[in-house]
Amino acid sequence: MLILAIDTSCDETSVAITDGRKVLSNVIYSQVLLHKKWGGVVPSIAKRAHEERIDFVVEEALRKVGNKNFCSLQNIDAIAVTQGPGLAVALEVGIKKAKELAKKYNKKLISVNHLEGHLYSPFVQNSQSNPKIDFKFPYLGLIISGGHTEFVIFKNHLEYEVIGSTLDDAAGEALDKAAKLLGLGYPGGPMIERLAKEAGNKDFHNFPRPMLKSNDLNFSFSGLKTSFYYFLKNQPHFTLRVKELSSSFQEAVFDTLIKKTEKAIKQTKINRLVIGGGVIANMRLRKLFRDLIKKYQGEVLFPSYKYLTGDNAAMIGVVAGFKAKKGLFVKDIDELDRLPRWSL
Amino acid sequence: MKDIINKTINVLENGGLVIFPSDTVYGLLCDATNEEAVKKLIQFKNRPPGKAISVFCDFNLLNELVKITKGQEKIIKEILPGPFTIILPSKHKVCKLLESEKGTLGIRIPKYQLINQLIQRYKKPVTATSANLANRPSRYSIKTLLNELSGKQRQMIDLVIDFGQLPRNKPSTVVDLTQPNVKILRQGDVVFSETKTFLSKSVDKTKSIARGVILSEAKNLAKRKLNKPLIFIIEGEMGVGKTVFVKGIGESLGIKNIISPTFVIYYEYGNFYHFDLYQIEDKEEFKHLKIDKLLKPKNILCFEWGEKAGEIIDLLKSKGKIIYVKMEYVNEKEREIKINI
Repeated sequence: MLILAIDTSCDETSVAITDGRKVLSNVIYSQVLLHKKWGGVVPSIAKRAHEERIDFVVEEALRKVGNKNFCSLQNIDAIAVTQGPGLAVALEVGIKKAKELAKKYNKKLISVNHLEGHLYSPFVQNSQSNPKIDFKFPYLGLIISGGHTEFVIFKNHLEYEVIGSTLDDAAGEALDKAAKLLGLGYPGGPMIERLAKEAGNKDFHNFPRPMLKSNDLNFSFSGLKTSFYYFLKNQPHFTLRVKELSSSFQEAVFDTLIKKTEKAIKQTKINRLVIGGGVIANMRLRKLFRDLIKKYQGEVLFPSYKYLTGDNAAMIGVVAGFKAKKGLFVKDIDELDRLPRWSL
Repeated sequence: MKDIINKTINVLENGGLVIFPSDTVYGLLCDATNEEAVKKLIQFKNRPPGKAISVFCDFNLLNELVKITKGQEKIIKEILPGPFTIILPSKHKVCKLLESEKGTLGIRIPKYQLINQLIQRYKKPVTATSANLANRPSRYSIKTLLNELSGKQRQMIDLVIDFGQLPRNKPSTVVDLTQPNVKILRQGDVVFSETKTFLSKSVDKTKSIARGVILSEAKNLAKRKLNKPLIFIIEGEMGVGKTVFVKGIGESLGIKNIISPTFVIYYEYGNFYHFDLYQIEDKEEFKHLKIDKLLKPKNILCFEWGEKAGEIIDLLKSKGKIIYVKMEYVNEKEREIKINI
């Protein structure tokens, strides 16, 4: 089943063509609203809103599949779109375009939760059907990104139960903000990862691990942020060692994630993890999860390709494929509206 | 070694292109101050115009090329040399085609002897782009690199320094140190009739202060029959509790799932809008948010990092009732909250 999927949940306009779990093409146009990801795309185009680029991205996605006879809008079986969560004005653009295409070409429409996409991202395959992993439900799912930090029991296809989430900042956001406090600019996460590695990923300062004492599976990173702020404030500027601080802060965040995950494994008795979201691009965090899961003789699945950790339409298309199998199409296309704080 | 540097410098001086090893991948070098050479490089890379290209330099050249504040200088000295690309406002000493549209320049000072020696001798910045074509993977060996070039492209290369297979190091990490280009709110931008000061020692207390404000203000608006949206502008440093304050407001309205909107700039909960201007770095970005459309009666808008609202303060003032909240650290556990109505 050929699906054209659209994701405009935040600052990236992405369109993909998928066939089951296979991604035939995925085009991501970055830098819309936050057009400061230097070195990404042509700035003069990036300055315009999603609206002005969405048509181009749709065309690119179709073109990249290569085979024109095989892949045109007429030959697509269904249109999929992210309905939320995300930035309202951005979501709007994708939804509008999806509705328009569905009507114009008389296609069925599938609405997808962006977080579902992240949960399915480790199962997304390239055009050669790699990786060839099968689903072994249930999974303990984790979404760790700049906008989300959530524990989900991934019971079966399209069946989820949220068992914990952040009460304030997302893990990726905490890392970005620590980078900013250190004067490291934007984006901070990859910078922290690299500097931490140079400091041997060691913990020099033992910053607090928030929420570890609480019995639930929720996260809160604001206390850690405060303590980091105070630490920096009370140190003479010239004595600060950026690498050691980056490493220590990252360890505090990751240690919290790992300990909470261990708690979740014990509570749910599920030792198979699927992890998605931008922060899992971090190799140190992947190693920590692999070490943890060894202890519980389970398995852990990450997205196989780097683009799948960030926001992308490929994962939305793959989810839509499973929804289509169950006949879960949007009933009234005109009624579909964005859900900026949609939870799983 | 000396021979390699001499040969390379000779080509660079004559406006040529050199494929050269680096701490990450094989790079394509040309004199960054020579416009003809840069044009040739862009043509070779088949790179869309307008996309910036960073330059290799050393600490001697750094201050000539980009504007650096004292604070930035300290950070730079700590992380460089290393596998990082640092973005700063350009002093326009290099060819303009290498800069971003915003006039910033990417700087690389690698931990790589061959490049360091080259720059030391050449005393000019050279381009630091990877030698692969645009949209192709990075290349670690000369053989694979040359294989994907067309005959015409191969002719454009004047010199190849083959160091065999390079270790598979990741490309450099980009870090943008440029300051935001947004108008900061100044004292006096909005005049208030009343200021109340509260002390909070806990998350719950901060929330209850927020609840108190929203309840009395909603009543006040109703009493005065003011048909305007309510706007909270919240200022305060990182970790001081701005999101907690907004959660307090939200909870009094029955919204229980508020989290930080930093990543997406704002979240919408019915007629309640929770903004975080932290990520806004350019006044252009406000246009995309269509805030004017949200300024309707009965809507409530909260702005964290409200000091960045300078650009839209006139709009907010003209269409809404502003409540200005300033939160400050007293110590790690206590916060002072000033509410201006």
